[in-house]
Amino acid sequence: MLDYGLLQRLCCADGISGDENEVRELILQEIRDYADEIQVTPAGNLLVFKKGRQRPEKKLLISAHMDEVGFIVTYINSDGTLKFDSVGGVNNSAAFAKQVKVGRNKLPGVVNAKPIHLLKDDQRRKNPPIDELCIDIGAASREEAEKAVSLGDSIVFDSLYENRCGRVISKAIDDRFGCLVLIEMIRSDLAYDMYFSFVVQEEIGLRGARTAAFTVDPDCAIVVESTTASDVPFAEDEKRVCTVGGGAVISFMDRSTIYDKEYYRLGMECARELGVKAQTKTMIAGGNDAGAIHCSRGGVRTMAVSLPCRYIHSSASLARTEDMEAVFAVVKASAERILCP
Amino acid sequence: MCESMKEILRKLCTDRGVSGSETEMLPVLAELMGDGAELTADRNGNIIAAMGDPGAEKHIMLDAHLDRIGLVVTYIHEEGFLKAEPVGGIDLRTLPSSAVKVLGKEEVLGVVCTMPPHLAKDEELSRDKIWVDTGLPADKVRELVSLGDRIIVCSRYTELLNNCVAVSALDNRAGCAVLVQCARRLKDQKLPCRLSLVFSVQEETSELGAATAAFSLMPDEAVVVDVGFASQKGVEPEKSGKIGCGGIISMAPSLSKEVTEKLKELAGRLSMDCDYEVSGSTTGTNADKIAIAGSGVRTGVISIPEKNMHTQTELVSVDDMEKLSELLALYVMEGGACHA
Repeated sequence: MLDYGLLQRLCCADGISGDENEVRELILQEIRDYADEIQVTPAGNLLVFKKGRQRPEKKLLISAHMDEVGFIVTYINSDGTLKFDSVGGVNNSAAFAKQVKVGRNKLPGVVNAKPIHLLKDDQRRKNPPIDELCIDIGAASREEAEKAVSLGDSIVFDSLYENRCGRVISKAIDDRFGCLVLIEMIRSDLAYDMYFSFVVQEEIGLRGARTAAFTVDPDCAIVVESTTASDVPFAEDEKRVCTVGGGAVISFMDRSTIYDKEYYRLGMECARELGVKAQTKTMIAGGNDAGAIHCSRGGVRTMAVSLPCRYIHSSASLARTEDMEAVFAVVKASAERILCP
Repeated sequence: MCESMKEILRKLCTDRGVSGSETEMLPVLAELMGDGAELTADRNGNIIAAMGDPGAEKHIMLDAHLDRIGLVVTYIHEEGFLKAEPVGGIDLRTLPSSAVKVLGKEEVLGVVCTMPPHLAKDEELSRDKIWVDTGLPADKVRELVSLGDRIIVCSRYTELLNNCVAVSALDNRAGCAVLVQCARRLKDQKLPCRLSLVFSVQEETSELGAATAAFSLMPDEAVVVDVGFASQKGVEPEKSGKIGCGGIISMAPSLSKEVTEKLKELAGRLSMDCDYEVSGSTTGTNADKIAIAGSGVRTGVISIPEKNMHTQTELVSVDDMEKLSELLALYVMEGGACHA
């Protein structure tokens, strides 16, 4: 079984894109004793080499991103409230009326908006645009707020984590779960030498993975991600994309990548042979670091194995541990199969 | 015994006591009120603390509604998803992807369903489309959750700068905390009147509790303590009061001029810089029902300025609440507004 205590610590660590330090430090502590080589790149990626029992002919990179979506302070209003912008694809509805933490000192704040009572009927049924929202830290003036907060400070959702009956509700499952899978592999006895990258800035344009792939220069790659499951009662058929409880998600194509056909089949085969559930996405939707990795240098054969996750990019995403186990099993088996001469 | 206002407020801002389930709050109130007052629950579940001289000519009622907004489970889907409807005027905009707690046989954490942004095409929010996802297997859900169970949006009691507090249910547990603190200020005093503190039910749905309590008690005067709109971005100054002003005194044709004037006078005496909210008809608070109970009750309203009303991030200043409790205690010690 995966180390779910560690998953909780990973999810509750704060690290929006461009501010992944806390997450990287946590991961470093967890892998230090198991890795053969560790490098922190100028971009902030954490690159790890781990020796296996054999030297493979190919160089495989397994990658997950450390950053989560959040917000950033852009202006301090005269009344002491903070204007902010989103970092990554967090949607507006996810911000409204949420409890947040601001800056290095994790100052508590709440997202304000005009009370519902004072809105016209049509406004009451629409999510307010982000420029109508502001964050309240209790400061009564700009001068007071400036003592506690600076422009550019990161804003994260207040953490929440529960694992009950194999169901996890938390912020940042995307992609701290992927980080967990990589950590577990680094801690395990590997059949072959492998490279691992914990990358920055996926959520703002796959920026860390691009540089990680350049540095490592792999022949092939596996991206371990969390992906949108829309299996809610009012979504039908293909609109559900993938389902929580349906097992590891192995993609043939998304909006960033057309995946290596052989690896796609290989992943499905591994799942079948292991007797774990696997599924694919029923819409060409989403994208991940594979988009930057598969076109690195002269090209990298790439597959993505993802965790189906509902309400991704919000303060409360939901996934199941049985799917997490399935992803781990498929990633490990696929890696070995890819490297097997 | 000398708990701070923050302590009182933290204890009152529980997940419990959504409209129609206020009795769940009785143990909390009993602990907070101690032995300074006799607590009774009436037919509708109003919790009433009797203080002062039962034989006095003058009978003053102080009212704060005890209920909080939430949701109620109306249907359980075969896959275990819960359909829910609002209890009270919950702000639908706050719901998508919010963590909620289903108050079933056990408390169950869940999330309000949303369509991911790439599938939702500017969909309108609707009270008929609220689904809650606990992520638990359907049979487990059916074991723990029943139709009619209440759901609340999760919120953590959070202290901000300037003695501000943010958490859900401040509407109107902040008002309840003011009444508790007022009772503590009066505990060892000889009151010139009979005093009934009413923690009333179902304000958010129908103002039922205040109407029936006022009829049963038939006080000479009443002051309602609720939350009011605080100044914030997008809120007109005439409709709001500043956080830190001490309180918002309401003026309206439906309210007693004597009670309102007395509140203004006492606020001046305590050097409070109260803001005012003037309405052309009624007030949207329990005062609307209390004032026309029985043969009528002279009623005033004073509110705690609150930001983000009916969300999980309601925000008030504890300093305002403290001042307000002082004002109400003085009001009682002076024997109210009108003298027979």
